[in-house]
Amino acid sequence: MLNSIIELESISKSFGGIQALYDISFQVKPGCIHAIIGPNGAGKTTLFNVVTGMYAPDEGEVRFEGRAIQGMAIHDIVRLGIARTFQNVELFGSMSVLENVLVGRHSRMRSGFWGAIGRWRRVTDEESDAVEQARELLRFTGLEELADQKSSDLPFGWQRFLEIARALASEPKLLLLDEPASGLNAVETNQLGELLLKIRDRGVTLLLVEHDMSLTMGVSDRILVLHQGRRLAEGTPREIQSNDTVIGAYLGRE
Amino acid sequence: MKILWLAGAVAGAGLLISNPYHLQLLTFIGIYTLLTLGLNMLMGYAGQISLGHAAFYGLGAYSTGILTVHFGWSPWMTLPVSVLLTAGVAYAVALPILKLKGYYLGMGTLGFGIIVFILFREWSRFTGGDSGLVGIPPLALGPWDLSSRTSFYFLVWGTVLVGLEVCRRVVNSRVGRALRAIHDSEHAASAMGIDTSRVKVHVFVLSAVFAAIAGYLYAHMVQFISPSSFDFMTSVRMVTMVVIGGMASIWGALLGASVITLLPQWLHVFMDYEMVVYGLILMLIMIFLPQGLVRGVVDLYERSRAR
Repeated sequence: MLNSIIELESISKSFGGIQALYDISFQVKPGCIHAIIGPNGAGKTTLFNVVTGMYAPDEGEVRFEGRAIQGMAIHDIVRLGIARTFQNVELFGSMSVLENVLVGRHSRMRSGFWGAIGRWRRVTDEESDAVEQARELLRFTGLEELADQKSSDLPFGWQRFLEIARALASEPKLLLLDEPASGLNAVETNQLGELLLKIRDRGVTLLLVEHDMSLTMGVSDRILVLHQGRRLAEGTPREIQSNDTVIGAYLGRE
Repeated sequence: MKILWLAGAVAGAGLLISNPYHLQLLTFIGIYTLLTLGLNMLMGYAGQISLGHAAFYGLGAYSTGILTVHFGWSPWMTLPVSVLLTAGVAYAVALPILKLKGYYLGMGTLGFGIIVFILFREWSRFTGGDSGLVGIPPLALGPWDLSSRTSFYFLVWGTVLVGLEVCRRVVNSRVGRALRAIHDSEHAASAMGIDTSRVKVHVFVLSAVFAAIAGYLYAHMVQFISPSSFDFMTSVRMVTMVVIGGMASIWGALLGASVITLLPQWLHVFMDYEMVVYGLILMLIMIFLPQGLVRGVVDLYERSRAR
């Protein structure tokens, strides 16, 4: 039995002369919320992009459910069960809220051009199932009233929630959230925390990069701390809060 | 629903209009609508520009022209050949060219269009070169002669109606959503599991097939084709029709094709200043209705109602 859903082994990555990640290894256990924190430039986003397949690591291996995935096309990685959101929210602005979630379901649908033109029974069934599932996700994230609004018309906070609903539509086993609380006010950040716990309870493992410490400490089961591309510490929120090296890195002490 | 209204209007116009010149004009609008519909799927929905689409229009026309004139094929046999040939060429071109983005894609498709144009002009043994290819047979369906203006009008507009419905269905499907997603953010689209290069290649082929069918109909309508009908200016005119009608609007294709075809007719009264006025109108539309005529008019209507 696998005791990790995703496993990174000795990952290194550099851009030009800058070494963004040095020999990073860590594992995420299924069914938990795992956070990656660290000061700016620590390599959090790079690590994140290695997991989603945006960057291929220079060295090391990424294994999802025991299977090496580095170098695979991004859309194939999604199909395996890894979904993500973006730091700057990248919705499909010209499309409605519901349509955004339906695009999220793309990898779990099959009909192509001929199906679209022919509209056979299988295609229409698939479409109505997808709409039903998308509406369920909008209810889950509290956006059901807004289904027919244009997504770019939503206030920023709701756009973040919509992005999460869209990512969930691909039925991921692992959901990666890139700074989900950035740009949210305190009330919205609280709602986000509750939503993350609800998502974990659906059986989805979460990996998040986050700056907001109260959120991270409040919801995470485990935390990985990066500093200047190196692994600084890993542990439960309580362990991390009392870790001297971590405090040193954050306060600028060496 | 709207499509039934259009079908009614088409049938009514076909039965009522007896002036052959007007009928021919309407038939041309139909052919241009087909071209615009296809290009709109590529440009308006998927957000990929093509400045060489006249090449596919020409391939559709020349393949049926050459096969019927030089090899004596029946026009109905050439239809599948001309569509498949054009689709094959489009596929082969799309694989490398759609790796380009923005201006570079524009330049790449422009170059392709010019190469094909030169081929039409220089391969004179089959294409007739600059003097054109003469003697393309009219269409006939068994005993039913389709060479009369009225019957050809119905053939073209029947095809347009089918084309409109095909586009409407594609747009409102999983594939159509993927196209629009690529337009909005290719980055996010691939993170949603969309194989963006594959979808782009498919829509490129689809738009080329529309152009091939338009070219096929055009060749059998005028029964004479020459390279100048498929030059760079034709590609530009196609892009203009998409933009004027409204990107990402199926009905915009119909409107754009109508405006660009009819405008020069109405502008004859300006005599020597015709081209100036034509250019001016296009500029005004782009400045005041940048979303195209369909979106622009709908927006104006909604704004006036909100007041």
